[in-house]
Amino acid sequence: MDLHDVELAAHAAAGGRREFGELVRRHGSAVRALLRRMGAEPSLADDIAQDAFLQAFQRCAEFRGEGTFAAWVKRIAARLYIKRRAKDARYVAELESEEAAPAQDHAGLVDLDEALKTLTPAERLCVSLCHGAGMSHPEIASAMNLPLGTVKSHVKRGLDKLRARLQPGPALSGRSANVG
Amino acid sequence: MSADDFDPFIERLYSRTPVMQDAGLFAADVETRLNSASRIRTLALTAAGLIGGVVAVGGAVDLNLNLSSDAGASSAQLGQGFTASIAAAQLSAQGVADRIGLTQLDLGSMGGMQLFWITAGAVLALLAAGAVRLSQEV
Repeated sequence: MDLHDVELAAHAAAGGRREFGELVRRHGSAVRALLRRMGAEPSLADDIAQDAFLQAFQRCAEFRGEGTFAAWVKRIAARLYIKRRAKDARYVAELESEEAAPAQDHAGLVDLDEALKTLTPAERLCVSLCHGAGMSHPEIASAMNLPLGTVKSHVKRGLDKLRARLQPGPALSGRSANVG
Repeated sequence: MSADDFDPFIERLYSRTPVMQDAGLFAADVETRLNSASRIRTLALTAAGLIGGVVAVGGAVDLNLNLSSDAGASSAQLGQGFTASIAAAQLSAQGVADRIGLTQLDLGSMGGMQLFWITAGAVLALLAAGAVRLSQEV
């Protein structure tokens, strides 16, 4: 199926499940990867990604093609993840902690997923929402019910840690597929 | 690398998606959930339509089929406006029947309530069919 995402979404908005299935095949991995990068365990990430796609199908008529379809579903998924996690007291406590998992040494390879593990849960979530889901700082503050200043400092500290960790090099190309 | 250079760099990294071996399985799961949600909706609406139809038919059967002969009793039970609307519906239906040549069909012999329940049943069935159709398109 060679149709553009916007055309597929238009068909899906008219009830086309086959066309929507194609969109899921194209962007499913991107949405799942973002949720994992936000800190979700793989099974929870898949569960929320499925919910996000189901919601996207129901709201397909709202997608006008201003941004990419993947970005649109990522934002739906990110909001679903925050909502789901807000109900989990253990996770909320975890978000307030300053502990990060020890990162493995990959001998200078640029590995975002590994580098993200060096961030605290709150930094990881805020950086991923900002740079992965394309949400603005005020949007993140509103979705997470946090002061804007707190969000900005989580993003800044997270980026500082990532910058210290990540070194762009030849390993960047070829390790993964660019889906968008 | 400066902060200004790093922001686009990190965004590029986020846009690179790891290849997931079970991507096909994930898409199939979404499709299954999509189909099952649609099936449940169709079943619920069909059940609602059927229940509505059964109630309507039950109401029609319970009534005396010759209500038109004792319209006075009906009038006593029903509100004045309601009776008038039934009579008007009967008249207009009779007019339509005359126009399309169904003169042998004597709607006057039908009870007001019977006509009401039959109409209600038909409307419910139509609504249920419309809702099912709409749900399939959404």
